[in-house]
Amino acid sequence: MSARKQAVAGGGPVRQDHAGGRARPTRPILAAAALLLAVGPVAACTGSAAATAAGKSSSPVSGGTFTYAIDSAQLTLDPGVSVSAVTGFIDRNIFDSLVVQTGPGSFGPWLANRWTVSPDGKTYTFYLRSGVKFQDGTPFTAAAVKATLDHIANPASKSAYAISLLGPYVGATVVNALTVQIHLSSAFSPFLQALSTPFLGIQSPVELAKPAADYTPVGTGPFTFVSWPQHQDVNLVRNPGYTSPPSNAAHRGIAYLSALHFDEVSEDATRYGALTSGQVQGIEDVPPIDVKTLEQTPGFYTQSDFLPGLNYMLFFNTTSGPLADVLVRQALSASVDVPALVQGLYFGQFKVAEGPLSPDTADWSDSASAALTSYDPAKAVKLLEEAGWTTIDAAGYRVKDGQQLNLVWPYPAALNRQQRDVLAQGIQAYAKKVGINIERPTVDLGTLVSDFLAGKFDIADAAFARPSPDGLRFAFDSTQTYAKGGANVVGLDSAQVDGWLNAATATSSPAVAATAYANVQKYVLANAYVLPLYTPSLISGYTSAVHGISYDAQAYPQFYDAWLSS
Amino acid sequence: MIARHPLASWLLRRLLLGIVVLWGAATLAFIALHLLPGDPARLIAGAESETSPAVIAHIRAEYGFSRPVLVQYGIFLAGLARGRLGTSYQLGQPVSAAIGGQLWSTASLALGAAVIGLVLAFALAVTTAGRPRLRAVTSTFELVCISTPSFWVGIMLLTAFSFRLHLFPVIGNSGISSLVLPWITLALPIAGVLGLVMREGMERALDQPFALTVRARGATEHRLRLRHAVRHSLLPVLTLSGWSLSQLLGGVVVVETVFARQGIGELVVNAVSGRDFPVVTGVVLLTTLVLVVINIVVDLLYRVVDPRLRAVRP
Repeated sequence: MSARKQAVAGGGPVRQDHAGGRARPTRPILAAAALLLAVGPVAACTGSAAATAAGKSSSPVSGGTFTYAIDSAQLTLDPGVSVSAVTGFIDRNIFDSLVVQTGPGSFGPWLANRWTVSPDGKTYTFYLRSGVKFQDGTPFTAAAVKATLDHIANPASKSAYAISLLGPYVGATVVNALTVQIHLSSAFSPFLQALSTPFLGIQSPVELAKPAADYTPVGTGPFTFVSWPQHQDVNLVRNPGYTSPPSNAAHRGIAYLSALHFDEVSEDATRYGALTSGQVQGIEDVPPIDVKTLEQTPGFYTQSDFLPGLNYMLFFNTTSGPLADVLVRQALSASVDVPALVQGLYFGQFKVAEGPLSPDTADWSDSASAALTSYDPAKAVKLLEEAGWTTIDAAGYRVKDGQQLNLVWPYPAALNRQQRDVLAQGIQAYAKKVGINIERPTVDLGTLVSDFLAGKFDIADAAFARPSPDGLRFAFDSTQTYAKGGANVVGLDSAQVDGWLNAATATSSPAVAATAYANVQKYVLANAYVLPLYTPSLISGYTSAVHGISYDAQAYPQFYDAWLSS
Repeated sequence: MIARHPLASWLLRRLLLGIVVLWGAATLAFIALHLLPGDPARLIAGAESETSPAVIAHIRAEYGFSRPVLVQYGIFLAGLARGRLGTSYQLGQPVSAAIGGQLWSTASLALGAAVIGLVLAFALAVTTAGRPRLRAVTSTFELVCISTPSFWVGIMLLTAFSFRLHLFPVIGNSGISSLVLPWITLALPIAGVLGLVMREGMERALDQPFALTVRARGATEHRLRLRHAVRHSLLPVLTLSGWSLSQLLGGVVVVETVFARQGIGELVVNAVSGRDFPVVTGVVLLTTLVLVVINIVVDLLYRVVDPRLRAVRP
């Protein structure tokens, strides 16, 4: 009963780490700026809804209220606007998407029965499911698809995340009630994956026409929004008219659970206690140190899934300072025993990362890790001397031309999670052994943003969860600078890398994309633009009365197939 | 006419002063938020967001961030003068509604904790003043209360009474039972400080000649303490009321996090980090208003508590 289940997920969407906890609540999804966040890993997408049911599986029972404690707050429930990963997670129950991600690079029908893509990759035509109604009674039609996408693209909506998923969206044309064409300004292979995320879930056009202050989330999904008292707990009830589950769901028809409650409990110890004392039936983000204990407690079990996308990594600013020298970057990489730190801190719950992508992401390259400069302190010293950092001062740090080898790694305490502050202390200690001084000034978010814009840092840290290798473009394409809303803070500006990324984005051939993405992975490791640290997993805890939880491609639990035994 | 009545003119002066204080607080909030580093438009969009430059530009235009700071200040003051707090940048709802929606949760938490803290401090002071052995025990207790972080106290109370004994719910915003542990957590540091201060005041009173006179009249020890000495110990408590309020406001942020309660605390933290000027200003003004009112009430109470002040013209 308390066995740990490794669930698998079908592919999905995007997610970035939540800002957990006490931190601001808020925001999460994003990566961009984010370099701070982490996110993670992946689900091994098995395509299915696969979900591993928990507990014994007898036949599903209908009814019951399921309460799940989430760890972060959100400012809006509009998936097209929100910056928070948790909003996508909750909204998944309210909104259906046009397509469902069923594997790292495969998609199945959902609200669209089928679709075609023009040869130039710029026009997608979706043929929609008929007879579907929004929870407010509005019929689901091509006009709703257009309204949803236009809502996100409109700057007045202030979309913080979904707009980046839309990519080169130009507009949509309603061909007839159940056929919609979406136009892009250039070919964009991550588009189907983007459409499968809850952030691009199809919304009722009636709701979108209301002013932002009166907004409530209304979709075609299995649960209907009821209330969000004091912007804290979100209450949903079963949608009695639900007819449109994704093609990979385990059952058809209405959901088993009669109501879903999401309680916001940002403090880890409180959330854990709420589960073990029986006040909630499920929690997200079980602290890694508590996982074993919970599994050994009768009546509870955990499920975890590695997040897909970009691993949690250090990003080196190569535009100025000591890290402009590839030898120093490689030396830093060689000075840190990442596997020892990650194992020691996360008890095996998070996986040691050996490349920029989580292994569960499409086009993850197994061989790229050979290009990583791994732990070898003697080599680190040799590289530093080769780079001219030959003398050592009284404090034990290396000196060149009278300058101490100092690296600045800003620490935005508000975004700290997953004990990354402790991990950083380990990295500082290892670097010190070879004479590298890493400073971690505590900064607030405003300072962090300014520092990134001005390039006033040597090291940044972040992760970016999204079940698509497109995160590589986001972090390494020369046009994706921080000032332009991208995450290329390392200052990588290589025509070769841009060429690979463009080829991968524009091609319709999976083999071409795989080769191009593999080249990028190898390149950034060989030139030490990043130091991969770990692949986080999303660890949920449940009471053994909970069954049938499935996982989507972004490793989030899904509640449509879930049920409660008495 | 009114001004001729000394108390009324005093009140009028205090109210006018209060308005000046509110203006000062609003101005300080405005300056502080503009001195914070970082581009407000980006922070409103979400520091971690990967939102497009078009959205950033829209936010900048909509909220007038590209105008000169003095112009922004003028617009801000003009709005306040008309009683308009504006609309939250992040929540999309009017500031009064955003604050109003969270107000009762925080007020019930803070008021309850203040009452419990006062009662506890009172009980500690009255029973232990002038009794060295008891005092040694309770002053240790008070020091522990003052120096233990609320965060840790909250977790310990939850572990004992909720996780293990199941006496109180772990989380929740409803009903008295969900308030008991947060109240205690918030009340302990206040009780610690006020207890120390009250006992000190009582002991000083008990040492004075009038205490001897009262005893000589045959009054019981209880009567001496409750009727005569307590008043002396209340004066420093009144003086510390501003401190207590700031203690409560700071404490609710922590307590609300530990007990997963919604309230003003989280609203403010989000608003500051997201540069939500209207909400921050709204909370600053509300807090200042409460402080101004409390100070006026306290000054009136001094006269009730201390008859010596009644003879003096306010």
